[in-house]
Amino acid sequence: MTIAVEVEQLVREFKGGIRAVDELDLQVREGEIYGFLGPNGAGKTTVVRILTTLLRPTAGRASVAGHDVVHDGDAVRRAIGVALQEAAIDPLMTGRELLRMQGALHGLKSRDAAERAAELLERVGLTEAGDRRVGGYSGGMRRRLDLALALVHRPHVLFLDEPTTGLDPTSRMALWREVRALHEEGTTVFLTTQYLEEAEQLADRVGIIARGSLVAEGTPESLKARVGEPTVHVELADPESSEAARAALDGLGTVEPPDPRTPSRVALRTTAGKAAIPPVIRALDEHSVVVEFVEVETPTLDDVFAAVTGSHLEGATQLEPAETA
Amino acid sequence: MREARVVAALGRRALSVQFRRAQLLMPTFVLPLVLLAVIASGTSAGQSLRGFPDISSYLGFVVAGTVLQGTILVGLSTGISLASDIEFGFFDRLLTAPVHRTSLVIGRLIGTLVLALMQTTLFLVVAFLFGARYDGGVLGMAGAIVLASITAVGMGGISAAIALRTGSLSLLQSLFPFMFVMLFTAPAFFPQNLLTPLLHDVSVYNPLTYVVEGIRGLLGGDSSLGSPWAGFAAACGLTVATTGLATVALKERLRRL
Repeated sequence: MTIAVEVEQLVREFKGGIRAVDELDLQVREGEIYGFLGPNGAGKTTVVRILTTLLRPTAGRASVAGHDVVHDGDAVRRAIGVALQEAAIDPLMTGRELLRMQGALHGLKSRDAAERAAELLERVGLTEAGDRRVGGYSGGMRRRLDLALALVHRPHVLFLDEPTTGLDPTSRMALWREVRALHEEGTTVFLTTQYLEEAEQLADRVGIIARGSLVAEGTPESLKARVGEPTVHVELADPESSEAARAALDGLGTVEPPDPRTPSRVALRTTAGKAAIPPVIRALDEHSVVVEFVEVETPTLDDVFAAVTGSHLEGATQLEPAETA
Repeated sequence: MREARVVAALGRRALSVQFRRAQLLMPTFVLPLVLLAVIASGTSAGQSLRGFPDISSYLGFVVAGTVLQGTILVGLSTGISLASDIEFGFFDRLLTAPVHRTSLVIGRLIGTLVLALMQTTLFLVVAFLFGARYDGGVLGMAGAIVLASITAVGMGGISAAIALRTGSLSLLQSLFPFMFVMLFTAPAFFPQNLLTPLLHDVSVYNPLTYVVEGIRGLLGGDSSLGSPWAGFAAACGLTVATTGLATVALKERLRRL
């Protein structure tokens, strides 16, 4: 297993002794999408700026593609592609001009840069808009161009700092597709996000950062498994059939004790998650219990975040979309 | 070769952005011409003063001041563009590219040089169309254009250094009045020997004095109007010093990251 990004005891302090990154340790494997999840102000962007050589660490060390970010910055910059949080794109230039300039900055000859620009504009669906000034682009178009700019020199490691913040769902999905495609091509992606769904959908592994430190790390599934099992909620047509329903479901998992506030509801904890829906329906049917609906509630990464930090991620307190039968 | 491509790309970008940013284009191209029209029409009686040099064209005399004003404004706009890049994050994009850090400054100053070449040519041609005569001929004009362009790079170096040191767009924009102080403490529109004693003494220490007189000498084909060599020496000295200053400011900025 080759390590693409390695961070050891990384510290970054700002004026007034504010510690934005506090003895952070992490490793990103080559070819994986690493989701760096945390609320605003957790230190995500500071870490990305250190890894992309835009900031110096106060203490500790970090390397990208085997190169130290402090002592071998130029080699790091050759290996990385960067799309920063604020899509820093000159609004007065056209998409094609920016791509050609980026090509020149990475040592491409004029003709090669022009060819690469055309290729990338097509890849991110901006061929028609390529000769228009970026100032007239929508947020989604800017983000796609920003991604294309980061890809000009076919980077080894790609840093995406909150790439979909503020985007509409369609633009977000389009960007996700592109990130997945890059992953399939073998690019290592370091993705910061404050969206739980984004981390779940894209990341092979997730690191949760809070107050500058890594508080949990693992695959989305393994992290959620630490918090607890999924729960199947059954809404009964008749609250009187509650006892019969409990009896029917016994054996399929752990039936939760009845809650007097919701007499028509039965909850079953089971590791099977969504897969438990057909046997649950069958068992209830066999016991002639009429069901209004069944839904599965799985622990979210926010639950993981809450479990390790004691607070919820901003704007992520709602349940994830549940499966309804 | 690789760095040359980088510098050329950054220079091209600096130039194209300048032409697309009306708030920079207007002061650099239009304002000096407006001032030239006002001065040429309003102060032409000054040439009858005793001690005023014997010239064939008053407009040809004062256009040197317009050219100098243009170099100051082009120089200042260099810093404004750079500060804007820093403030809005574009400079970070450049910093994440594997390029020599000095190329980031040189590339921008190359854009300044080309812009000043175009601007000075325009000023001289417009003045010619309105009656200015250049006894120095085409060679004198070419020399004046080169001298002005080197000076613009020197002024660009100052503003780039300030931009890199502070990263503040508003500070750079507030420097416009100071640039005019530099213009009017040089004999931009009047011969040095007719300045008030105080202004005369100040002008001796202003390197732009030698630049404007050098331009005048080249355009008039008469070294008694000003020494081109002194002008080139002042412009080159200014450029070397301020480019060095900007490079130091960039290194300092990177050290403070």
